[in-house]
Amino acid sequence: MSRRRRFQVAAKRPSSFALNINSLTDMFILLLVFLLQTFSTASVQMEPLPGMRLPSSNTNLNPVEGVKLTVSENELRIGDHVLATLENKRFQTKDTDVKDPNFLPQLFNELNKLAENKEDKEYLKEGRVLLQADARLPYDTLRKVLYTASMAGFPQLKMVTMLGN
Amino acid sequence: MRGRRWMHHDTTGEFELDLAPLLAVIMKLVPVMLLSSAFVQLMVIETELPQVVKEAIQNNNDPNKNLAKVRLEIDNAAGFKIYVTEKGQEKESAVALKNGALDFPALHENLVALKKSHPDVFQIDLVPRAGVEYGDIVRTMDEARRPRDQQITFPVFDAQQNKQVQTPFMFPEVVFANSLESGL
Repeated sequence: MSRRRRFQVAAKRPSSFALNINSLTDMFILLLVFLLQTFSTASVQMEPLPGMRLPSSNTNLNPVEGVKLTVSENELRIGDHVLATLENKRFQTKDTDVKDPNFLPQLFNELNKLAENKEDKEYLKEGRVLLQADARLPYDTLRKVLYTASMAGFPQLKMVTMLGN
Repeated sequence: MRGRRWMHHDTTGEFELDLAPLLAVIMKLVPVMLLSSAFVQLMVIETELPQVVKEAIQNNNDPNKNLAKVRLEIDNAAGFKIYVTEKGQEKESAVALKNGALDFPALHENLVALKKSHPDVFQIDLVPRAGVEYGDIVRTMDEARRPRDQQITFPVFDAQQNKQVQTPFMFPEVVFANSLESGL
């Protein structure tokens, strides 16, 4: 009797089955709500560099168009182009001018190149800079960037911060 | 009774909802939302202000107005020093360090009191020393921009309406006074 049962062919069952997707739909709805909350309506999209800590502020103004300058603990960038490297959060002597230690010649030249095409864009005409800088940087380092940007005809500084107190 | 058919009625009222199309729509939406999501919300500090305040700031820059000049020095070793220059005389007040760190709440109270005594002044000259961290500078600007207590407002004269209006702004116009100096 038991041997017969072992070799008994299983009864044919239908190959299709109804998948219960209720819980999957619930999860997706929650995900959609979360994504709608974080949906960005700002016209300018910016991403801080990995490891960079932007300062927090209670300002609620969205970023505007401007020349994107980034000063992290390790480097100075204009857009994606690295202009100078930092050592112990300060610019190295090779990246500063011999006569004027506050002047950064590479940054000045790059900003000057941009300023040559200033008829194209409004923010270049106004001399607007979007500065993303690490919160741990000393003012001495930032001052060199502000000084050089002012010299190159970019006096309007917009400081990028993170939302929060 | 003949020829009459008995129809079976489902009295439970339950039915199977087909969620597959909804799921298909969500599956298409999720990647789009993921691409356009900002997980870190970035903002900027700038001087986009109401027209009345803008006019008041322009008046601040008029040398004929003889308004008080406010200079705020930040030093990691000495704390904050506020200098108010009015009619050729300079008054100094200090906010000492608290537990070895900059005392931002005390600075805020000082600035609110200063604004109450000088409601026409909107500009502040910021003078951070070389070692002051950028995060502390931004926080100082936050403390100077608006009062924490939202009930506090300051009078400002609106030339268009020819009357006094109230504004929550204290010192929104911040100038890095020593950015072009050679030494710090």
